[in-house]
Amino acid sequence: MLKKYKPFLRAGAIDTMAYRFNILIWAAITVCEVACMVFLWLAVYRSSAGGIDAEIHGFTYREMISYVVLTTIFNFVTYNNDTLWNINTDIKKGTIGNYLIKPISYRGKFSATSLGTLLTMTALFGLPLYTAALVTLGVLGFLPGLTFPAFFAHLGLFLLSGLCASLLNDTISYIFGVLCFYTSSGWGLNSLKVTLISFLSGTLLPIAFFPAGLREVLDWMPFAGMSQNPILILMMKYDLARSLGSVALSAAWIVVLELLAKFLFMHAVRKVTVQGG
Amino acid sequence: MIEVNELTKVFQKPIRGNGLSGMVKTLFSRKYDEIRAVDGISFTVPDGEIVGYIGANGAGKSTTIKMMCGILTPTSGSVRIDGMEPYRMRRQVAQHIGVVFGQKTQLWWDIPLIESFKVLKEIYQVSDADYRERMGFLGEVLDITRFLSQPVRTLSLGERMRADLAASMLHNPQILFLDEPTIGMDVLVKEKIRLAIHALNKTYGTAVVLTTHDMTDIENLCSRIILLEKGTILYDGPLARLKNRFGNLKTLTVSVPAEIHAETAPVFSPEVDVSEEDGRMILRFDADKVALEQVVQYAFRDLKAMDMKIAEISIGDVVKTILEQQEAEHAEKV
Repeated sequence: MLKKYKPFLRAGAIDTMAYRFNILIWAAITVCEVACMVFLWLAVYRSSAGGIDAEIHGFTYREMISYVVLTTIFNFVTYNNDTLWNINTDIKKGTIGNYLIKPISYRGKFSATSLGTLLTMTALFGLPLYTAALVTLGVLGFLPGLTFPAFFAHLGLFLLSGLCASLLNDTISYIFGVLCFYTSSGWGLNSLKVTLISFLSGTLLPIAFFPAGLREVLDWMPFAGMSQNPILILMMKYDLARSLGSVALSAAWIVVLELLAKFLFMHAVRKVTVQGG
Repeated sequence: MIEVNELTKVFQKPIRGNGLSGMVKTLFSRKYDEIRAVDGISFTVPDGEIVGYIGANGAGKSTTIKMMCGILTPTSGSVRIDGMEPYRMRRQVAQHIGVVFGQKTQLWWDIPLIESFKVLKEIYQVSDADYRERMGFLGEVLDITRFLSQPVRTLSLGERMRADLAASMLHNPQILFLDEPTIGMDVLVKEKIRLAIHALNKTYGTAVVLTTHDMTDIENLCSRIILLEKGTILYDGPLARLKNRFGNLKTLTVSVPAEIHAETAPVFSPEVDVSEEDGRMILRFDADKVALEQVVQYAFRDLKAMDMKIAEISIGDVVKTILEQQEAEHAEKV
C-alpha cells in the first residue's frame, strides 16, 4: 500500500534538489539573523545583574549561543514544507479534484512529499551543518553538557525527535491547510501558524523563560517537541529519561493530530465546490 | 455499472450587496441563494455502453460527473459505481474509474510525459506486464509515442488531450468519464480522439460517459443519449429515437432556374414547407407523411431542379429545437 506514495516521496526529494540555490540564498539570510540573535543575547547577559557569566533560567551565555545556532539549523532543515500552501492552491485552482479521483489519500500524499524533503534536506544541508556547528561549538567550550559515549544515545534520540518534529509540523500545516476549505485565506492562516509555532515551540525564546503557568501548559503541548526539546536533547541539557519522555509525548501528539486532521478533512471535503466547467 | 438515483446537488451562493455598504452588510448577515445544479435525476449505465451526456452550458453535466467520480458529495440521492458510493469509498472507486476534464490537465506540468505515466503506474499499482501492454495499445490508438519525452507544458492542446486520455486509461478502468474531451480541438484531433474512444470501448469493454457540445462526437460514438436541462433529464434513450422526435424530418436543397421563386412556385402539398435561401429552394418535410420519392419528382418537374441534396435533420437541430421549446415554456411561466 505504501508503495503508492513513493512517487510523492521522490517528488519532495527532487524539488528540494531543484531549489537548492534558493535554499542557499535563504541560508545566507538566516546566517545574518543568527548573528543578530547572538549579539542580542550577549547584550542581555552583559547587562544582567550577575554579569556575562550569570546563569539565566538555567542557561549560561555560551549555552544560549549554542541553543540559538542549533535551533536555527534545526528549523532550517526541518521546516520547509509547502503543505499548507499547496492545499490552498489546490482549493483555489480546483486542482484538488485531480487528487480526489486517484486511489490515494490526500493526507498521505503530503506526508510522503514532506518526508522526501526532510530526508534530502538532512542529507544535503543537515549533516554538514550539524557536524560543523557541533565541532566548532564543542571546541569553543560552548557545549559543556556533552559527555561521551552517552552523546551517541542523545544523537539518536535527537534524530528521532527531529523526525517527530517534522511530522508534527506537517500535520499542523495540513490542519491549517484544510481550514482553507472554510476561509479561503491561506495567507492569513499561514502567518498565524508560523507565529504560533515559532513562539510556542521555544524558537524565539526557550520555554524556561516563560511565566510558570504558561510553562506548565506548554510542557504538555506538542510545540516544545518541535524545536526546543530536540535541541536540548542534543545539547544533553535533558537526561536520557526526559529525552525519551519528550519523544514519546511528540509521538502521542502525532497520533492525536492525525486523527483530528482526518476528521476535519472528512467534514471539509463535503464542502468542496469545484467552480466552472 | 453506474446507478444514479434521485441525485440532487444544491449549491449555496452568498448574496452579496452592491458597493461598500453592501459589502459591510454581508460581513454581518449572510443570506444564501440556493442553486439546484442537479435536481433529482436517475439513470443507469450498464457495462460497456457509451452514453452521450449533453445539455446547454450550466445544465448540470459537469456537476453530475463530479459526483459520479467522488469529487463532490450529493446533497441528496445517491450514485453507485459497481455498488459503491464514490464520495464514501473514494479510493476504492478511483481504482475502477478514469476521468478526463477537457479544461484541466491531470498531468504533471513540468516533467516529461513518460514520467507522469510512471507516477500513475505506481499510484494505481499497474503491473509491469499490464503497463507495457497498455502503453503499446494507447501509444498506437492515440499516437502519443512521438512526444513521450517532452514536458507536458510544451505539448500542443491536441497532444495534451490525447496524453490526458491515455493517462486516464492506464489502469484499465471499467468506466471512463470524459468531460468535453474534444473542446478546442481541430477536426483531425477530434477524429483521432473519437477513434480512440471507440477502440477502447471495443477492446476493453469500457463504459464511457461523455459530455460534449460537439454533436458529431455524439453521432459517431453514442448509441444512447441523456439530455439534461436545468438539472433535470429531458430525454434518456437511443440516439435514433431522439432524432425522430419531431418525425422523420428531411431537408431537400435544390438549385433552380432564376425565374422560379418560392412564392410563385406551384404548391405540391401543405406538408412540404418551401422556402428560398441564396437562390436555392429549401424543402422541409416529414418523410413519414409525404413520400420522399414524390417530393423529389415534384422538385424536378415543377421547380425544374438542376441538382439536389437530401439531408436528414441533424441531432444538433433536434437538441436546439428541444432547448428552444423549453426556454419558450420557461419564459411563458415567468
